[in-house]
Amino acid sequence: MVLLAHGVGGRQDLPIPFSAALAGAVIALLVSFAVLGMLWTEPRLGGPLARIRPFSDLFQRAVSSQAWAWIWRTAGLVVAAYFCIGLVFGPDQVENPTAGAFYVLFWVGLIPASLLFGPVWRTLNPLRTLHLLASRALRRDPDAGLRPLPEGLGYWPAAAGLFAFVWLELVAPDRATLPVIGIWLGAYAALMLAGAVVFGARWFDKGDAFEAYSGLIGRLAPVVRRDDGVVAWRNSLDGMSGLRPAPGLPVLVVVLLGSTMYDSLSGAPAWVRFVQESPLPGPVMGTAGLVVVIGLVLAAFFGATALAGRRGATEPRVMAGELAHSIVPIAVGYLVAHYYTLFLLEGQRTIALLSDPLGTGADWLGTAGWTVGGLGNTPASIALLQVTVIIIGHVLGTVLAHDRALALLPRRTAVAGQIPLLVLMVVYTVMGLLLLFAA
Amino acid sequence: MTPNPARFRSLLTGLVLGVGLLGGAAACSGSSADTASSTVAGVKEINVTIAAKSVTPPPGRIDVTKGQTVRITVTSDVADEAHVHGYDKAASLQPGTPATIEFVADQDGLFEVETHESGLQLFQLAVR
Repeated sequence: MVLLAHGVGGRQDLPIPFSAALAGAVIALLVSFAVLGMLWTEPRLGGPLARIRPFSDLFQRAVSSQAWAWIWRTAGLVVAAYFCIGLVFGPDQVENPTAGAFYVLFWVGLIPASLLFGPVWRTLNPLRTLHLLASRALRRDPDAGLRPLPEGLGYWPAAAGLFAFVWLELVAPDRATLPVIGIWLGAYAALMLAGAVVFGARWFDKGDAFEAYSGLIGRLAPVVRRDDGVVAWRNSLDGMSGLRPAPGLPVLVVVLLGSTMYDSLSGAPAWVRFVQESPLPGPVMGTAGLVVVIGLVLAAFFGATALAGRRGATEPRVMAGELAHSIVPIAVGYLVAHYYTLFLLEGQRTIALLSDPLGTGADWLGTAGWTVGGLGNTPASIALLQVTVIIIGHVLGTVLAHDRALALLPRRTAVAGQIPLLVLMVVYTVMGLLLLFAA
Repeated sequence: MTPNPARFRSLLTGLVLGVGLLGGAAACSGSSADTASSTVAGVKEINVTIAAKSVTPPPGRIDVTKGQTVRITVTSDVADEAHVHGYDKAASLQPGTPATIEFVADQDGLFEVETHESGLQLFQLAVR
């Protein structure tokens, strides 16, 4: 992500060495082969979440209390209000922390927060809290809307919202300026609150792009609050495997992966030359590029799942929904590889800028003097980390797809049916490595 | 487990495809815009011309050794500002008059060099 004229993302990572990309691709292939042939032959993951280790009773009671939830809801409201100071009253200049806070601390920061603690944005989401408070004030049940939430809606609103966000982040002209961020966030907040009024608070679960994003990634967290309220350690793979199909889920997951791939691609000199030599305006070319990359990733996904379904006599739509969860770790691996240094460097810079959102020379948080440190990262160590997280994502995705295929496909065709899925994952992973190497 | 020929074929296809893609990309990325730059007495000299919103030579990647001095000369046919991202070095451009930005590349990474008014990317500086 490079935001013209406005600090965020001034430095990008160097391309990874060819040897690293090649080594990564070979490891991905070998792992796929091993998973297909040598691992378990009965589905093991997901299940009734029996294999959890509950925390101690005292800890359970503390984190299950109303006070605990309100601490985090209040924190969400306070941080959002603080963010709005810079957005609404701050000067529109490079030193304004708004763009960094929104694109780096919030959007990228939700990845590690959700990976560690689960679907955190559900509790922090200031819009959900505002809706809850308004419902209480009006003595209404927050879950009761004007009409029931249609089941067919599923994740479609979140998928549309996510696309709107990645378009803003990667394509929109002047995307780091306050009016553009302000208008986008204003429209988003109005739509989300309207959805909650019409359909009740359940709307946020699959309708809010950021809750859905945090929820998808949070499935990989090592901790879980079960539906019955028990808070426990769990196997991340069980968590991811518990993501149930819903309308729009494959598109949501693919927008996440495809948009990040487009971000890499748009930095490649060949793409830059193509856009600058085209008679069409940059944002039109950018929008087309984003749509085409997401479309290709989507076509590959639907093609591979349909092929797998045919071998196992399962409907293509069912296969796509059932296997969408296996793309999440691949997307997360790629997101981490892509954003790690941006989060580290721009995150520090943004925290320093946040101390003075109005540009008056104030130091409200005591962080104004922070200097950005690279934590000893070298180009070689960054490349190693990038390839490693992509391989981890690939391994987790392959294992999840293998396990689900065993559950879905008849035993006779389970191996043959998985081949298209493995080819799909190898293609995604090799494309990811290729983009890190060439773009 | 008995080997399944169909499975081997698929995996082989995948392997060939993957290596082919990587190899192809390696060949493509070799064509950088190094014709625009030369090294004189340890200083990396880079010359770029902008005419009718077209950048000559076309945008590419220029490799610089960390610690090397970089001298960028930009000639534009319209008034504009050239900017080196990350290093935050800028020079205002007057029509037809070459402007120079000189600095020591002491931070590794990939940095875009752009014009602000016309929003053109001139080249990318790969410092390692």
